[in-house]
Amino acid sequence: MDSNARAIARPRPRQALADNLAGYAFIGPWLFGFFAFSLIPIFSSAYFSFTRYDLLSSPVFIGAKNYAAMLRDSVFWKSLGVTFFYVAFAVPLRLIFALLLAMLFNRKSRLMRLYQAVYYFPSIVGGSIAVAVLWRRLFKDDGAINSILAVFGIDTHISWIGNPKTAIWTLILLAAWQFGSSMLIFLAGLKQIPESYYESANLDGAGSVRKFVSITIPQLSSVILFNLLMQTINGFTVFTQAFVISGGNGDPMNNTLVYALYLYQKSFSYYEMGYGCAMAWILVLIISIFTALIFKSSSSWVYYESKEN
Amino acid sequence: MASKRSSVFAAILAMTLVAGALSAQGKVTLRLAWWGNPTRDARTMQVVELYMKLHPEVTIETETTGWAGYWDKLGSQAAARNLPDIIQQDYSYITQYAQKDLLLDLGPYVQAKKIDLSGVPDTFTSGGKVDGKLYGVSLGTNAFCFLLDSAALQKAGLEPPKPSWTMADFEKMANAIYAKTGVQTPVFSSTDPKVMFNDWLRQNKQTFFNVADGSSLGFSDTKLLVEFYESQLRMLKSKAMTPPDVSFGQTTPDESRLTKGQEWNLAVWSNQVVSTQAPMKRPVLITLLPRIADSKQPGTFLKPSMFFSVTKGSENKEEAVKFVNFFMNDLEANKILLAERGIPIVQKVRDSLKAMVDPLNKQIFEFIDLVGNKNSSPIDPADPAGAGEVLKVFRTVDQEVLFGQTAPQAGAEKFIKQANDILAKNKK
Repeated sequence: MDSNARAIARPRPRQALADNLAGYAFIGPWLFGFFAFSLIPIFSSAYFSFTRYDLLSSPVFIGAKNYAAMLRDSVFWKSLGVTFFYVAFAVPLRLIFALLLAMLFNRKSRLMRLYQAVYYFPSIVGGSIAVAVLWRRLFKDDGAINSILAVFGIDTHISWIGNPKTAIWTLILLAAWQFGSSMLIFLAGLKQIPESYYESANLDGAGSVRKFVSITIPQLSSVILFNLLMQTINGFTVFTQAFVISGGNGDPMNNTLVYALYLYQKSFSYYEMGYGCAMAWILVLIISIFTALIFKSSSSWVYYESKEN
Repeated sequence: MASKRSSVFAAILAMTLVAGALSAQGKVTLRLAWWGNPTRDARTMQVVELYMKLHPEVTIETETTGWAGYWDKLGSQAAARNLPDIIQQDYSYITQYAQKDLLLDLGPYVQAKKIDLSGVPDTFTSGGKVDGKLYGVSLGTNAFCFLLDSAALQKAGLEPPKPSWTMADFEKMANAIYAKTGVQTPVFSSTDPKVMFNDWLRQNKQTFFNVADGSSLGFSDTKLLVEFYESQLRMLKSKAMTPPDVSFGQTTPDESRLTKGQEWNLAVWSNQVVSTQAPMKRPVLITLLPRIADSKQPGTFLKPSMFFSVTKGSENKEEAVKFVNFFMNDLEANKILLAERGIPIVQKVRDSLKAMVDPLNKQIFEFIDLVGNKNSSPIDPADPAGAGEVLKVFRTVDQEVLFGQTAPQAGAEKFIKQANDILAKNKK
């Protein structure tokens, strides 16, 4: 008994080693992926950002010249502007859609599972070529949208995708349409709100708007914070949709040239990998600032139960 | 017992050795990469299969993408030191790849007739030379042309244009066709707006890029560029030209307005004529680009449409060269390829094809003859580093002017300034 207890409390060194090895073997695949596909690329990209690197030959160290060149690059500023505009509208729209749909689906019914799956679907197919083709068909000069408008007597012959004023909005609409993952998280959050809160509000005669503002929103605020953060980060790194819909060149007039698309062009189309890496680090900085700001502001609007006590 | 066991062992050993020797002797794997379209892909695959049937010891793995993704992919492969053995190269990239020491000098192989180019004139091979060394053999000759929808001309009661037609004729024609049939003109070479303007510059005895070191544009006066914009703005105003939001958004030939009969012309390279016409399913004409007012020389030039290069890192250079030679010279292979990459540079191949091609390809052969016969001027040096970015700026400013957001004069000045800023880094 005694010796057994001691053995459990202090394992022999050999056995400890074997235990550790087994542990490392189990996380090995993850470790490999982490080093090969995250950590090493992160460090090399930091180094490349200080070099002139054309992919075809070895990188040449040039100090902070890439960062200095960015300040004078009008296309860089343009792409930054496009991205901010996109984030400012796409993220709130997506969250609002997600919340509305989540509330609609927060009922007990057999069909709800089916509806959830159906509405989650756009998020899965969102980045695919098929959706880009669909979007082009919808918003072309002779596309479905114009045909529907014509039925109501509105005669437009513009290509919504090719027009400089509307092109970015087709991307924002696509983003709003892909609210699925946020919706599921909202739905999980809604299910956590105790039914009794609403029951007592009903007894006090509160209307549905009142219940939404005073119960749903505060109770859901931490989930809103999570979704806002994730979607803001997603928004700043948007690439696939812009790439497929604009044919990869940010048409028209660079009005859909989002930051990540320009970064890609610089790195892989113009063979300026050093500049592309520098742009990536600026994006890291921008996202960090926004994440910090959102976290900072959260103390004034996110409601945590534990604080109340 | 012991001897039996050892004889079994010996037999196994012998078998292993034989197998090893066999695999060491034969079984070469080559990787071949090209950019293309469905037609080219199918024909190239067929030739690859033919080659593997004739040479069972060679396996060829193929990699193909569209033009846009091709250079992205090749760049990454170059960075990983993992380029395919044979790559399709382009005039605008070959200098960059050759100067980075990634391509094999094919000169000695041509001299040893391992790639048989006997009787091929220098003008057809010089495009593949960088600093005097041959880094790519031309897979065909190409020239920029105007493709016209015969039916649209007929409906408007117009005669096909003469090779000597001018921009004034072109505008008149565009307006007449629009007035009579409602069929429009696309913006000038919408996929790459620079190509047509480049033709205008050459007619004016100027070059797009500074020939010496590519550290600036080859022109500084705005006059021609302003006219390039204004000509289009005039036709946009008269509605003879498709509005830019529609024109720039076009993607595949299947969906194009030309195919649908909503436009009557398209400026394309002569090796794109076949794939452009295919979905139209009606006759087309091909002709030279119109001349500008006081044109000083023909702007059209014969261009090696693309090359095959063997990469320096290839472990099977001899075998790669063998395949390239087969691709250039074998009649059976070229009967499959049918000049889809451009008019072949080897005389006997050209002759055998001429006899068997369909009417459309015959037109292309005749067009190349027409260009070669006093309707061309020598090709400009390959594009300098930074050209890709300059072309993007050209496209952006072109769009700004056609959307009415920038005045032609301001647009021309803006392009020249931004392009020179990009090219300035080429200064030595």
